[in-house]
Amino acid sequence: MFKLMKYEFRKTQATKLILLAIIAIAEIAFLIGLYGNYDMTAGLSIVALVFLSFLGVFVVGLESITILHRDMNTRQSYMLFMTPNSSYKILGAKVLECGLSILLAGAFVFALGALDITLAVAREQGLNSLWEMIQNFLSHITINGRQLEIDAPILAATFLNILTSWIMTIVSAYLAVVISAALLNGKKFNGLISFVLFLLLNWGAAKLLGLIPDTMSSVATLLVYVAVELVLSAIMYVVTAEIMERKLSV
Amino acid sequence: MLESRELTKSFGSVVAVDHVSLKLEAGHVYAMLGPNGSGKTTWMKMAAGLIKPTSGQILYEERPVGVESRRHIAYMSTEPYFYNWMTIRDVGRYYEDFFEDFSMERYKELIGRMELREDMKTRTLSSGMMAKLKIAVTLARDAKVYMLDEPFNGIDLLARDEIRTCILQFASEDKILLLSSHLVEEMEAVADRAIFIKQGHLEEIVDLETMRTEYGISMADRYRQIYGHEEVTSNV
Repeated sequence: MFKLMKYEFRKTQATKLILLAIIAIAEIAFLIGLYGNYDMTAGLSIVALVFLSFLGVFVVGLESITILHRDMNTRQSYMLFMTPNSSYKILGAKVLECGLSILLAGAFVFALGALDITLAVAREQGLNSLWEMIQNFLSHITINGRQLEIDAPILAATFLNILTSWIMTIVSAYLAVVISAALLNGKKFNGLISFVLFLLLNWGAAKLLGLIPDTMSSVATLLVYVAVELVLSAIMYVVTAEIMERKLSV
Repeated sequence: MLESRELTKSFGSVVAVDHVSLKLEAGHVYAMLGPNGSGKTTWMKMAAGLIKPTSGQILYEERPVGVESRRHIAYMSTEPYFYNWMTIRDVGRYYEDFFEDFSMERYKELIGRMELREDMKTRTLSSGMMAKLKIAVTLARDAKVYMLDEPFNGIDLLARDEIRTCILQFASEDKILLLSSHLVEEMEAVADRAIFIKQGHLEEIVDLETMRTEYGISMADRYRQIYGHEEVTSNV
């Protein structure tokens, strides 16, 4: 599995390096703005960094789906399916590599953000006043009549939920791609059908998640979301791998 | 032993392989012959586990081909299939990572004999160089079954001689070699048995030495008989 993951990473290496380079440029711009007192530059680079963090996670997932599509529909598929690896391993390596990349990208952006805030605070006012400012800002936000509470467990659960929900979306896209390649290959409107299927899977998952009662604490609710998303991802993973194992011709 | 039983593969309304039953035994070099579209490549891909049969079975050592058989069957596709970011060195490392029977030493030796360099990018290789690379990486495995689909395609005469020598070096009592080609004369120098496929059907499997000594005709003659040319009139 590790060897398969190594090559999955190698396939996406170029895109990740480009993203890293762009983030590095934005970070340098931020530091120049901060220490050179160019407020506009610092502000714009923060906006760029926030945008890039979302874009990065989105691009990693999207590229993973594109690569799976290529691995199913071009001769490069032989590189995978000629090796003595089951479809479960091949697909598992893709899911794990993608999940790990998103996790690492998230952790990296989070660490970078924390570093930038610390630097900004150290230079401008001091950490305490910034934290007070954030708390003050959050105290004015309410959701469903409840005041928003932000603390470390909520932040961690939210991050985990974003990760698992994005992985679920990617696995559902994998399922749609594999159905398209294995069951609908050569049929009319193949691409359209698989895209509609992807939308339906995500609609169904959203409906299911909507059934979770909002009577628990925020952290508990988020963790239930995470658990349901993981179970749904696992089901779709097994279905996808079984279709590959039994029906896929490359 | 590699065996297909009533093996059939359809693509929509087109039947590429039609109820083909045959057995390949260790210790022989088989030439799989037939015009374009006769079903040779499809049969090989099913044996390699890349294409799923519509019906029938394909067995390696009495078990359906799958993950386990891929450890012992080395398949060379006629189309290029390496990742385009790979160098020739990367291709070797990839095979070394996934196939226990792969020998990097042998790979390097074959690459040298084929006049290729390890730092060459696969995406920049000419079709002839790509064909040599595919052969080198496939033969660098110590597999039980080798299936080479059109191994002489796009390769110059001298390189063909080199490849023929390599293939013959690999023929041994415990291995099956299966080659497909349009170049019938080239195959005659390598193979000892021929499988004739016509429009998805198995026409016959013949022992070439028997055909030559008992019936006085060559593989090329038999090919012409089966596929419509009338140069030779004798029957087998």
